Amino acid sequence: MSNVESLQQYKGLSVGDNLPELIQAVDQNMIDAYADASGDINPLHIDPEFAKTTFFGRTIAHGLLTLAFVSRVLSQWNWNGWAYGGELNVAFLGPVYPGDTVRVSGEIESIEHRDDGVYACCQLVCHCAEKAVVKGYAICKI
Amino acid sequence: MSDYVKYGSMKEGDNFLDPAPAFDVTEDVVDKYMASTNDNTPALKELNSDGKRIAPPMLAAVYVIDALRTRVGPPGGIHAKQQFKFHRPAVIGETLFTSAVVLKMYERKGRNYVEMTTETKNQQGELITSGMITRIWGKES
Repeated sequence: MSNVESLQQYKGLSVGDNLPELIQAVDQNMIDAYADASGDINPLHIDPEFAKTTFFGRTIAHGLLTLAFVSRVLSQWNWNGWAYGGELNVAFLGPVYPGDTVRVSGEIESIEHRDDGVYACCQLVCHCAEKAVVKGYAICKI
Repeated sequence: MSDYVKYGSMKEGDNFLDPAPAFDVTEDVVDKYMASTNDNTPALKELNSDGKRIAPPMLAAVYVIDALRTRVGPPGGIHAKQQFKFHRPAVIGETLFTSAVVLKMYERKGRNYVEMTTETKNQQGELITSGMITRIWGKES
């Protein structure tokens, strides 16, 4: 049976600490470049005429482009813990439109000492203006 | 006949990708991904202890979706939820194989949802990324 002990602090990190914030403007050029780089050419992202016929009424950014910004935050904060064993669990709550600015923020919600090391669980949220568009959490070894 | 996968043609437990499609992690793929996402993470500009350049963890978004795209749904489908576990970053020169299993199918507010688990291994069978994806299936004409 595994043991888990909750900690308030570890190696200078504390529950409640903020992760570095990231602010990224998104425009259609960036969405097109991501479509080209990822091969995800769903017309909802790159074809304004098609996008007009959808629920959204215009093109939207790939959800996974927004997750790339989340990954940049976690890479900057704790590269090894994120790249080697990191976990991400998010829900997409709303679209990011060309012209939006995405703000990624995060906070250490808990620190756990498990059998194989100490892990931080970080709450994450991406906002466009006041609207949350992605919400979830990441778990990284620290 | 439609050229996309119909919602009704899938069932829970199906291997969605059989055989698992291959994806080559190349310098070009990584450079384009990093440029398009504005990723300047210092560790991604260095070589690892084996002298190989590593890819951003979230490149998983490219190779997993690339694999799933070999059997596409109708246009207009979107991502609802995503889970990833990065066992280790992929490195340039690796060939990755992603498998996917249909875990759950359900309808909510008139939209069809599909949950799939995914697993990506390299050419030696080493686990690189595992995850779960929830997609809202596009409307079928």
